[in-house]
Amino acid sequence: MDLQEKDSAEDIKRLQRCVNDLISLLALPAIWSGNEPTQVVHMLLEALLRMLCLDFAYARLKDPVTMAPLEILRVADSCKLKTLSQDVRGMLSNWLKDEEDSSPPPMRNRFEEEDISIFPVPLGIHGEIGIIVVGSEREAFPSQTESLLLSVAANQVSIGLREAGLLSEQKRIATELDRRVAERTAELAATNQELRKEVVERKLAEERLRHEEQELKRSEVHKAAILDSSPDCVIAIDHEGRITEFNPSAEQTFGHRRSDVLGRHLADVIIPPSLREKHRKGFARYLATGDSKVLGRQLEMAALCDDGREIPVELTITRIPQDGPPAFTGHLRDITERKRSEDALRVAHAQIVRSEERWRSVFENSAVGVALTDLNGRFIATNPVYQKMLGYTEQELQSLTFLGITHEQDRDYNGMLIAELLAGERRQFQIEKQYRRKDGTSVWVRNNVSIVPGTERVPRFLMELSEDITQRKLSEEALAKARSELTNVARITSLGVLTASIAHEINQPLSGIITNASTCLRMLSADPPNVDGARETVRRTIRDGNRASDVITRLRTLYSKKEPSPESMDLNEATRELTALWLGELQRTGVMLRYELADDLPAVVGDRIQLQQVILNLLRNAADAMSTVDDRPREVLIRTERYEGNQVRLSVKDSGVGLTPQAAEKIFEAFYTTKTDGMGIGLSISRSIIEAHQGRLWATPNDGPGSTFSFAIPCILDESAEAETGINRADPAKDAA
Amino acid sequence: MEVPHGMLHCFVMESPKGRSGSERPLLSVVDDDESVRESLPDLLREFGFAARAFSSAEEFLSSGCVDETSCLILDIAMPGMTGPELHQELKRRGQEIPIIFITGQRDETIRARMLKQGAAGFLLKPFSDAALLAAIKTSLQAT
Repeated sequence: MDLQEKDSAEDIKRLQRCVNDLISLLALPAIWSGNEPTQVVHMLLEALLRMLCLDFAYARLKDPVTMAPLEILRVADSCKLKTLSQDVRGMLSNWLKDEEDSSPPPMRNRFEEEDISIFPVPLGIHGEIGIIVVGSEREAFPSQTESLLLSVAANQVSIGLREAGLLSEQKRIATELDRRVAERTAELAATNQELRKEVVERKLAEERLRHEEQELKRSEVHKAAILDSSPDCVIAIDHEGRITEFNPSAEQTFGHRRSDVLGRHLADVIIPPSLREKHRKGFARYLATGDSKVLGRQLEMAALCDDGREIPVELTITRIPQDGPPAFTGHLRDITERKRSEDALRVAHAQIVRSEERWRSVFENSAVGVALTDLNGRFIATNPVYQKMLGYTEQELQSLTFLGITHEQDRDYNGMLIAELLAGERRQFQIEKQYRRKDGTSVWVRNNVSIVPGTERVPRFLMELSEDITQRKLSEEALAKARSELTNVARITSLGVLTASIAHEINQPLSGIITNASTCLRMLSADPPNVDGARETVRRTIRDGNRASDVITRLRTLYSKKEPSPESMDLNEATRELTALWLGELQRTGVMLRYELADDLPAVVGDRIQLQQVILNLLRNAADAMSTVDDRPREVLIRTERYEGNQVRLSVKDSGVGLTPQAAEKIFEAFYTTKTDGMGIGLSISRSIIEAHQGRLWATPNDGPGSTFSFAIPCILDESAEAETGINRADPAKDAA
Repeated sequence: MEVPHGMLHCFVMESPKGRSGSERPLLSVVDDDESVRESLPDLLREFGFAARAFSSAEEFLSSGCVDETSCLILDIAMPGMTGPELHQELKRRGQEIPIIFITGQRDETIRARMLKQGAAGFLLKPFSDAALLAAIKTSLQAT
């Protein structure tokens, strides 16, 4: 009985537990509500493991929401197979594969020394949702109660899963809906924003446009008012030169109607025909290069009116600052009236100024120094040029006389001329003289002095026109110096030619010296010594030594550079001296030199070296002129003679190729030469030298072959005057005495 | 001891040393320079030769000494007939006298030309007595 009671009590407990479990299972969907299917399955498997004391619980199903396969295995903590959960999973997969559509029968399988009862529970009416597999060590598993609990659980989970699916779907749809709504809302908001912005901008644009229109209108009105009321003619043109504006003043001035000229070329309307080409070129240049001579400047030019009149206008052209092709405005003003009054003023002024100012102006502005003095030579008035020339102020000059500042050597002669002027022997005179300036330096002047007759109120006075010729004098000196330098160049040139001749001249006496000395030695060495012979050879040695010395002296004289030094000289002697040096060279070229030197030749005054230079030049020319002559003797005749009473003439006559009359004049020009190797300066210099000696040099063709070159210079007739005479004072008048 | 100019015949000077008997070779000097004409014959006589001097080629040609001259000492540049022209004239006449040219002009082209044309010697003035004697000996041996 006790046992029975005890069993009954056990049954009641078991039943109570079973009911509890059922209630738990039935409560599961409420717990699951809102959970994901995975969590639902997890919870179920957990509950079964605990409730039925299982070793493992496994579920395989499709996610009712995503339809993705879902596989979950739960193994009890106490289970010995725990470490082999992978094997359980693999075994179950294989087992279930064969029973794809229907649930396999319950089985008892062996896992690693352990036998396990496996029981499948399908989910859904035909297992369409999935399957749950549970396993336990117990051999009698599952009991009746346990089967019942498993079926209820499977049913519950099916419902839960379906609900979860539905819920999830609802959720998804709701989310989607929310998303779409949000998206659309955003779109709408953006569009709305856009629209609002557009509206604002349009408003602004309209406002701006309205403002600009107003401005434009105001400016147009303003401009039109300016244009219409401007006293200046305003003409605008476009880049092609077509008139785009022509204001009322322009209409009035030029006589054109605005409507007639708009669109016409400016050049055809107001530019005179004579200036049109220039205008077109200038315009074209500006368009091409941006370079303009007229832009922005005030110009005066002639403009053409409708009736053909040309009027003077003042014109300013400006480029209109705007984009696109350039356009221009021209402001013109008729200046006819102004011009007329200017001219009138000028004429009037000129008339006033003319009479008195004219003379004052001549006096003040003269390029020549002008001085007015009283009859004693005291300065009354001087002009600026005169003051500047002498370095004195007008006041300082008024306390001086012009003779007082004249150089001493010019004073007597100047005084004499003044006396003649005052005596009425001459109206005026000219003099070249030197003044002493205030600073002590000298100035060369050429003065033209005249006596101005007095009037009732003004006494007679002297007028001196004075020109500063210092520069000219200096250049004359420089010229003379240059000429003498040139002469020296010619000397040196001749030197080269003469070198051979010099060698010959020196070697002759040297040869004599050596031969005589050698002979002397031999004579003295003889046994017995020939003393008389030796004495004679020594005498000859000394003579030849002197001869060599003479040659050297002559050369030194001829080629030393010296300032011209006039001296009284014998032209014959100078000629002989020169030809002695030159002879060898003449002979070498096969030239015979003949002399006809006058015995009674008067002395001349001159520079010996320069005159010898001339003779040398003439001889060289003569020799050169005969260098190609083979059919006749090469002969040079050098002759001296009295000429035209008071002169001496030296002539060099050759038998060379001769001269044409044209060449006879030209050969004296510098650098003219008929020779291929000449410099053409010899004869030019020669003529300069002879002219400096107050003489002349000329050439004449011979009656026979060749030509004759001659020079004639004044000679000294009065022996006593010889010492006093200088080259510059050689006065032909003296010969008449 | 000079022979006056214009003398048409030629005679041989006695040696101052009185080397009698054998005739000494005659050397003729033609030069327009007087100092050469004065000094050179004395030296030649000291050498032991007979010597004559002439102031121009023309004078020598007309002197009658041409045939007897063993050696001619001849200046190149002279008025009238020049030394080289006398040389040509002698050749033309068939006179083969050895010629020693003497000149004051240092001109190598003339020297070369003269030697080429058969000159026996060419001496530039001033020359030494030794050079002269050597040239004379050479020219006399050639004949």
